[in-house]
Amino acid sequence: MEQTTRRISRPRRISVFDGQDLKGVLLAGASWLEQHRETINALNVFPVPDGDTGTNMSATMRAAVKEIAEASDNSAAAIAEKLAHGALMGARGNSGVILSQILRGLAQGLDKKATFTALDLAAAFQEASKLAYRAVIRPVEGTILTVIREVAEAAQRGAAQGDDIVAQMQEIVTAARQAVAKTPDLLPILKQAGVVDAGGQGLATVLEGIWRYTRGEAIQAAAAASPAQGAEVKKGRVSVEEEFGYEVVFLLRGQHLNLEEIRDTITKMGGVSTVVAGDDKLLKVHTHTLTPGKMLDYGVSLGSLTDINIENLQEQSLRYEAESRAEHAEEDQPAQGSGDVTIPQRDLGEIATVAVAAGDGWVKLFESLGVGAIVPGGQTMNPSTEELLAAVEKAPSTKVILLPNNSNVILSARQVPGLTKKEVHVVPTDTLPEGVSALLAFNYEADFPTNCAAMDSAAKRVQTAEITTAVRSVQVGGVHVQEGDVIGLLNGRLVVANSDPLVVIRDTLQRMKAEQYEIFTLYYGEGVSREQADETARHIKTWYPQQEIEVLSGGQPYYAYILSAE
Amino acid sequence: MAVRVVTDSTADLSKDQARALGISVVPLTVQFGEEVYRDGVDLESAEFFSKLATTKVMPTTAAPAPGLFEETYRQLIREGADGILSIQLSSKLSATYSSAVQGAEPLKDQSVPIEVVDSRSVSGGIGIPVMAAARAAREGKSLAECKTIAEDMLARMNIYAVLDTLEFLQRGGRIGRASLLLGTLLNFKPLLTVKDGEVLPLEKPRTRSKAHERIAQLLEKLGPIEIVGIAQSDEEIGQQLTTAIRAVYTGPIEHFRLGPVVGTHTGPGTAAVCAVTQRAAS
Repeated sequence: MEQTTRRISRPRRISVFDGQDLKGVLLAGASWLEQHRETINALNVFPVPDGDTGTNMSATMRAAVKEIAEASDNSAAAIAEKLAHGALMGARGNSGVILSQILRGLAQGLDKKATFTALDLAAAFQEASKLAYRAVIRPVEGTILTVIREVAEAAQRGAAQGDDIVAQMQEIVTAARQAVAKTPDLLPILKQAGVVDAGGQGLATVLEGIWRYTRGEAIQAAAAASPAQGAEVKKGRVSVEEEFGYEVVFLLRGQHLNLEEIRDTITKMGGVSTVVAGDDKLLKVHTHTLTPGKMLDYGVSLGSLTDINIENLQEQSLRYEAESRAEHAEEDQPAQGSGDVTIPQRDLGEIATVAVAAGDGWVKLFESLGVGAIVPGGQTMNPSTEELLAAVEKAPSTKVILLPNNSNVILSARQVPGLTKKEVHVVPTDTLPEGVSALLAFNYEADFPTNCAAMDSAAKRVQTAEITTAVRSVQVGGVHVQEGDVIGLLNGRLVVANSDPLVVIRDTLQRMKAEQYEIFTLYYGEGVSREQADETARHIKTWYPQQEIEVLSGGQPYYAYILSAE
Repeated sequence: MAVRVVTDSTADLSKDQARALGISVVPLTVQFGEEVYRDGVDLESAEFFSKLATTKVMPTTAAPAPGLFEETYRQLIREGADGILSIQLSSKLSATYSSAVQGAEPLKDQSVPIEVVDSRSVSGGIGIPVMAAARAAREGKSLAECKTIAEDMLARMNIYAVLDTLEFLQRGGRIGRASLLLGTLLNFKPLLTVKDGEVLPLEKPRTRSKAHERIAQLLEKLGPIEIVGIAQSDEEIGQQLTTAIRAVYTGPIEHFRLGPVVGTHTGPGTAAVCAVTQRAAS
C-alpha cells in the first residue's frame, strides 16, 4: 500500500480557498472515508452480509478525486467541476449517486469562482442539498438527505459567524454528526436495528476528513489501486513478497508530543515503513512490526489512543495473491467476451437489453434470455453509472432496455438515459428474479414503448424471497435474530429468522401466500450444491404439491437461495 | 357459377367440415420410418399424437406430388366446376404451394380457370378462409369474388400459438426466427405467431396458463373480431384456451384438430388462436 502524507503549513484561520486547497481537502475527505469504509458497511439495518454503502460511497469519492489527483488548476470552479464529473460517472449504489449529486451541487455553487469564501461555500452547500433531494423519487428523512440539509444550514450559520472556513467546517461537522445521531429517531427501523443511517454516516465521514485536513491533520492518502476498487479492475498479478508481521495504525492524543523522537523510538523497536504525522497534540502513527502489542504499549505511555487498527500482513498478502490468481486464471483461457462485459451470440433484434447480474449462473441465464450485455455487480459491488453507460453504448442498438436487478443500482441506472444519445429505458427491477420476469415478457414483435410497459409490469408481478445468514444479532421489524441464524427477506424486508433453513423458507413462502402462484424458481448460490438445492426443492414440493418448482444455479454470493414465485 | 374450393390437409379441416362445404382436401404425407400415411386419410389427429408419444422413430412430412393436385383439379372439372380456387399451406413452410401451381400448369389451356393462392398461413389460419370461400362458392359467387373473400380474410388473420417445446419445430426445420428462443436456461412455453408465412417468436410465458392469459390479452388488443378459430393438439388443451379467451371474446369459435403433418412440426401440447379482425369500416 502506497502512502503519502500531507501537511498544510499555513495558519489555522483560512478565509479563502483556491483550487489547490479544494483539491487537498477533497483528497483528504476521500481518504478518510476509505479508511472508515468497513465501519460504514457494517451499518446495515438488516444483518445481511452484503453491506456496501461504505464501499459504494468510497468508490464514488475515489472516482471523483481521481479526476483531480493530478490537476494543477488554481481555479476552485475548475477543480469542483472535474470532481463532480468524476463522481457522476463513478457513482455506485444509491448513496453513491446522492453523494455525486451533492458534489455536483457544490460544483454548481462554486461555478466561475476561482477562489471561494465561507459565504460562497454556504451557498454551494445549499445547492448541494437541493440536488440531493432531487435525485431521489421519494425523499425520506433520517437518511443522507437529512444530513446534507442540516449541513447546509450549519454552513450558513458558520458563514454568518465569521469568514474563517475552518471554523465553518467545524460547525458543519458538528451538525453532520448530530444529524447522523438523530437518524434513528427519524427512521424507526434504524432504531430497531440499533444503527445510524449508513449513507448519512458516509457523508459525515467525508466532511470529517475535510475538516481534519483543514485543521492541519495529515490524512493518509488512499491507496492508488485498492483491491476493492471495481469489479472490472482485476488485481495486478501478485506473488507473495516477504510481507510479514502486523500493520499497526493508531491516533495518538497527548501533550507536547515530539514527532521526530517518537518516529525514532518506533524504528528502534523494530518498526518498519514507519510514518508518523501530525502535530504536538495529535499524531497519526503507522508502522509494520512483529510485536504490535509493544507498539501499542509505547503509544499508551505517551497519551491516549483511538482509531486503532491492526492487520496481519501475511494474511492480507496471501489473500490478495489468491484472489489475483483466481481472476487471472480465467484470462489464461481464450476470452469469450470482451473484458468484463460479455456479449453473447444472440440479441433481441432491434432492441438491446443490458442487465446487471452477479453469479455465474445468473450471467448464463440472462445471456440465454437474450441479454446483449451483462454488467457484473449486485450484492457486493454495485456497478458505477459509468460501467452501466459503457455497456449501453456497446449494445448493438440505439434502443436499449436497462435492468438494474438490485434496488441499490436503480439510481445509478437512472442516471444513464441522460448521459447517452441512445434511447434508454430503465425497468425498475429490485431483484434478479424481477429481471428474469421482465425479460420473459419481452415481445419480439412489439415496439419499444410497448415492450418497456410490458417489462415494467411483468417485473412487479413476481415475488422475491432471499435466504442468507445473519451477521449479527438484532431485533428488527418484530423479528428476533441471532447472529448465525438463517434469515429470510421477502421483497427486501426481513421477515423471519431461525436456525433451520427449511423453517425460514417455509415461513417466507407462507407470508407471500405462495399458494396463489403457479411456479417457483429456486436459484441456489455459491456454496450450495445442486444436490442440496434439489433436496430443498423436494421439501418445497411437499408443502406445495400444486405448484411447479424449477431449480437453477444462480451462483450468487452471500445468499444461499433466491426464490421467486410467479 | 360452380366454383369449387381446394385446399390441403394442413388446413386441419375435419372430414365433416370439408364434406359439408364440398371442399376438396389434398393430403400431405407423414412418415414413421417405413410407414407412410396420408395426412387425415390414413392417419388422423388423435391416433397420430398417441403414436408420437410412444414412437422410437420421429416422424417426417412430405408435400403432395404435383400429380395429386392435377388429378384433383381434373376430377373437379369432370364434376362440372367452372372455376377452381386452390388455397395452400405457406410456401415458406412447405413445397405444397409450388406443387399445386405445377399441378395446375397442364390444365391452363382448359376453359376452367384455376387460381392457386399461397395462404401464408397454417392450420386454422387456412381453414377459416377456405371455409368462407367455400360458403361463397355455394352461394354462387364468381371465382374472382371467392378469391377476394379468401385473400381479404387472410390479410386480417392473426395467429397466436403456444407450444410445449420448440423441439419439434427445430427438428422439422420450420423454427425460423423463433430459434431466438432456443437455449433459454429457464422453462417456458413458447408463444409464437405466424406472419408473412413464417413462424416468428413472440414471448416466453413461464407457464401454460400464463401463455393462455397472454393470448387472451393479445386477442383483446386486436379490437373487433369477426371470427376466431382454435387449433388444438387435444381436446383438453383446446378447452383451456377457449376458457381463457372467452373472458375477452364472446363471438363465434371454429375448432380445428391439429393433424399429423402440422402436429409433426408443433408437437403435442399445442394450442393456437387464429383470429380474423373485422374489416375496417370504410
